[in-house]
Amino acid sequence: MAAGQHNEPSPETFAALYELIGTFNKTGAALAPETRFAEDLNFDSLIVMEFVASVEDKFDISMPLNILPDILTIGDFGVALEKLLSER
Amino acid sequence: MADIFDRFAGLMAQRDALFGDGGRDPFSVTMTEVLSQTEAMIDGHRTILVGTNNYLGLTFAPEALAAAHAALDAGGTGTTGSRVANGTYSGHTELEQALREFYNTKHAMVFSTGFLANAGILSTLMGPDDFILMDADCHASIYDGVRASAAQIIRFKHNDAADLDKRLARLADKPGNKLIVVEGIYSMLGDMAPMKEIAAVKRKHANTYLLSDEAHSLGVLGKYGRGLPEQEGVEEDVDFIVGTFSKSVGTVGGFCVSNHPQFNILRLVCRAYVFTASLPPAVVAAAKVNLGLIHNGGALRTRLMRNARHLHTGLSELGLKIASGVSPVVAVVAPDPQVAATFWRGLLDAGVYVNLALPPATPFGYSLLRASLCAVHTEEQLDEVIAIFAGVATSLGLIEPHRKRLAAG
Repeated sequence: MAAGQHNEPSPETFAALYELIGTFNKTGAALAPETRFAEDLNFDSLIVMEFVASVEDKFDISMPLNILPDILTIGDFGVALEKLLSER
Repeated sequence: MADIFDRFAGLMAQRDALFGDGGRDPFSVTMTEVLSQTEAMIDGHRTILVGTNNYLGLTFAPEALAAAHAALDAGGTGTTGSRVANGTYSGHTELEQALREFYNTKHAMVFSTGFLANAGILSTLMGPDDFILMDADCHASIYDGVRASAAQIIRFKHNDAADLDKRLARLADKPGNKLIVVEGIYSMLGDMAPMKEIAAVKRKHANTYLLSDEAHSLGVLGKYGRGLPEQEGVEEDVDFIVGTFSKSVGTVGGFCVSNHPQFNILRLVCRAYVFTASLPPAVVAAAKVNLGLIHNGGALRTRLMRNARHLHTGLSELGLKIASGVSPVVAVVAPDPQVAATFWRGLLDAGVYVNLALPPATPFGYSLLRASLCAVHTEEQLDEVIAIFAGVATSLGLIEPHRKRLAAG
């Protein structure tokens, strides 16, 4: 899911994601739209699972695993999240 | 120019850090002679096997051996064909009939392995508008199956029926079918699904089906060995049971049983069924006989659970951390992969074989010495296993020497 295909996620979406990511961020890496989950934040599959569950609960949506392979950065995640919210 | 194997560099480094010193490793353990269901020669040493998933010890059942010998002589070493080509012998249809009788279901479909049964059913059953809700701790074959499915995949928290309920509620307005996927006994830790609660959640939601992988609970749970749904009295709610012949049934192969009237269409569309050679006649004959022994195997189940309690209690009393309650899987938690690898090697050198299970194949990132019990383990064997665990754990500084309970004590 290339971010360029969609509008840039809103500041509110990023703020919510940063807050949720913060609880799982053991590296102390700075959080920005281009921050990568695997390389920069060291998120493994277990942490990804817990993080996705926390996003699902906060926004009361379902986030299928199928979309995860295309998500590399926080910005990608924001785009995918807003798309799911718009389809609700 | 990057080498084609460069992407495994991290894994290779991890392997070499754990096992690069030339000592024994799990990837090269070879049973040079199988002495019984519970003992084998490994590298010239008599070794007690406590990690084979051979829960009822049926690998040498005389009735199954005789049937397998006869089928081998009558039908040859293999079918060389798929079930939908030349690979369906009367043995295969008789085995499916035996499964229907065993589970009291209308339909049964035999696959060539349990992995293929999961991968085949889960990749095929659900379409693009459907949803699969899977327990987060499901087996690799389930993950591979759902990954190949067109359906939307949603994981719920391990053994958390309330979390499943919440996730199903979010999908209430979506028109597609929903399939819940759980396991009767989870292989790594030996913990069981809250099947009654899961079944209640399933009944609450429309267009929702339930599939249980009974790989580790077939033959182990229930009065007649039909697994966790039988034990919990919710067989009516389980729409699909997937299982394997490679654990309690003591051979190899997989299956799916169901009461759905249209189930047999899967024989035409399930690629893991259509495009694989069928099981050899000897395997099919042994599986059929052993299903009968499992149905009447109450005494074996009693011995299995007695052995499970004995090992669980013995290892707990040493001061070792066991990952879950009493079950035929007893998983000892080691502090990290390096200690687990040294622990595993120490046990093997002293004559005990267990499984070494490391993250990411394990829940909670656990590093595990995973033991599984057999109904025909003797108390003397298990006491020897406990004593050897005590010696290795003490030498690693994991337990205090004074807590060591000797076999004779």
